[in-house]
Amino acid sequence: MSEIALENLGKSFGDFTALADMNLTIANGEFMALLGPSGCGKSTTMNMIAGMLRPSSGTIKFNGLDVVDVPMAKRGVGFVFQNYAIFTHMSVRENLAYGLRAQGVRAGEMTKRVQAFAELLQLEPMLDRPAAGLSVNILQRLAIGRSAILEPAIFLLDEPLSNVDAAFRAVMRSELKSLQGQFGQTMVYVTHDQLEAMTMADRIAVMDHGKLLQVGTPLEIYNNPADTFVARFIGAPGMNILNGRLTQQADTVAVDLPGLGSVALPPALQAAAARLTTPDVLVGFRPEQINAAKAGLTMHVGFVERIGARTIVHMEQGAASAKAVLLSEVETPKARKDWTFAVPDDAIRLLDPVTGQALVGRPN
Amino acid sequence: MTEVTTLMPATKKAETQANSAARLGLWLTLPAQLLVLFIALFPILMQVYISLTDWSPLDGIPWWRAYELWIGLLNYTDLMADSRFWGALWRTLFVMLVCVPVQFLLGLGLAVLFVDDFRGKRVLYSTLLVPMMVVPAVAGYMFFMLFQSGGPVNDLLSFFTSEPVRIAWLSDPDLALIAVMVADIWQWTPLMFLILLAGMISVPQDQQMAAILLGASWWRRFFTIVLPRMKSIIIIALAIRVIEIFKIFDTLFIMTGGGPGVATETISVYIYKVTQQELIWSYVAAIALAILIVLSVVSVFAIKRMQRGQDG
Repeated sequence: MSEIALENLGKSFGDFTALADMNLTIANGEFMALLGPSGCGKSTTMNMIAGMLRPSSGTIKFNGLDVVDVPMAKRGVGFVFQNYAIFTHMSVRENLAYGLRAQGVRAGEMTKRVQAFAELLQLEPMLDRPAAGLSVNILQRLAIGRSAILEPAIFLLDEPLSNVDAAFRAVMRSELKSLQGQFGQTMVYVTHDQLEAMTMADRIAVMDHGKLLQVGTPLEIYNNPADTFVARFIGAPGMNILNGRLTQQADTVAVDLPGLGSVALPPALQAAAARLTTPDVLVGFRPEQINAAKAGLTMHVGFVERIGARTIVHMEQGAASAKAVLLSEVETPKARKDWTFAVPDDAIRLLDPVTGQALVGRPN
Repeated sequence: MTEVTTLMPATKKAETQANSAARLGLWLTLPAQLLVLFIALFPILMQVYISLTDWSPLDGIPWWRAYELWIGLLNYTDLMADSRFWGALWRTLFVMLVCVPVQFLLGLGLAVLFVDDFRGKRVLYSTLLVPMMVVPAVAGYMFFMLFQSGGPVNDLLSFFTSEPVRIAWLSDPDLALIAVMVADIWQWTPLMFLILLAGMISVPQDQQMAAILLGASWWRRFFTIVLPRMKSIIIIALAIRVIEIFKIFDTLFIMTGGGPGVATETISVYIYKVTQQELIWSYVAAIALAILIVLSVVSVFAIKRMQRGQDG
């Protein structure tokens, strides 16, 4: 069991800064997802935790102990590679026993532990089969088992589901989550798929361009994104963000969205809006929270995508574009017609148009 | 059951269609197949035929009338009793059994050094490949000069032992074979190195990383991940060198001419001498056929091993 603390961690390759000033504490037994598009620094971060890369600056601490100078074989880190890196020229049993044998565990003890893990991971029937040609979910279990048998305090997983077809990913996700429950290790999971992060992680660290943007539970990040990047990256589709102008109406402040109409700000956001020095503001709201209404905002419907239980409405108005996600049973707006919808008070988020930061609701 | 019976005609029809397609394919490729058959089969049949006679081009009759000199299996029974042939065969095997393992170990060692990056790697890499590109006849002259009793090899030995060394490398029956093997190792280790390096580079990095993370030492990784994954390429490299050494001729012939006496006479040199100097062509046909059979058996064995390696 281990707590991982990254302190001012940075890595540059020549002139290119892959990661800058990352501060993150991953609690003991926590499932933390590092989420971001490719090139955001998430894999660099994980490779530094594993010891494959040496940080350019900052430290990495396991349980308060600096491990930067500890070679990767001695860190007690289990690593699951993107393609699992199963030794395909060996049998399943030899794969499971590899680490034990490398560390000089006695033969009797080894047999016992391999047997116990094979039972736990339901690999028993194929123990003596060659590892080549097994299906991906078995390979995943084997990859995890091969590392877990050494009882590492920390588990690192590098996009293990990216080579799996979409239908099977759901199976793999639930299997992975239940394995983590069984072993109880600290897990760091690198992914670019927000759905994987949302469904499995206890907390998510969203990264972009070598910077950590936000850390929080999946719902915190979904409900209160720290900036425009997180807002657009989380959720499928991401949050709608529209340019607006603050206007004073009687004693309340409203936001005028040019061409669409205006939305009244709920009391909680009034004070935040007042802190802005210019009237320009970004308004964000989730596509799922939009409802058809008699009065509110009006946009032109470009096309309508039906994806089964839900329907995605693509809307445009001038330079602004937005999406709405409606339940299929609800009457859907017609394509190439105007549609009027309302955004509930608690769905509205305000963001600074200059910095992109959210104005309120950032988790502390 | 009914389903199967109703399906039967359809499968039959498909089969006939597949058959007629295959027959068309046969007709279309027939000229090429005949040509290949002719090129491969004709010389072998001719060889078998001549090996059963006592024919030589000096007899004044064309080869197809060699049956007039029919001697049956006499050439083969002579071969069995020919101590010079057996000597040459064992010598060739000895050269093979020394040179191939030495070349393999040197090539493997070099590949281990070159699989990681270091300063000056590219220059050194190109330098190491030079021997392979030297024309074997030129290499033969180089080593002929090097191993003269007043040559650089003896000079070097004199320098280290600080007393004049005058070893007659190429005219000493025991040392001549060593000199010849040194030349072969110098020239063909680079090929082994090149093939093994290619194989070593193709061993997946993440598997090696995984092994390191599981606590495996360098040696354990080398013997449990790198070497097993290189299995098929190792077999290919060894097969190439085994077959090539069986045919060793040019460098050796220029260095020693097979001598002194028959001290460095390998199979190829022996065949050359019997053909060019003693002109017993039918006997050569018998020798060549015997060797072809030996080499074919070895190759089949190697290919079988290779395929098994790929399955595993």
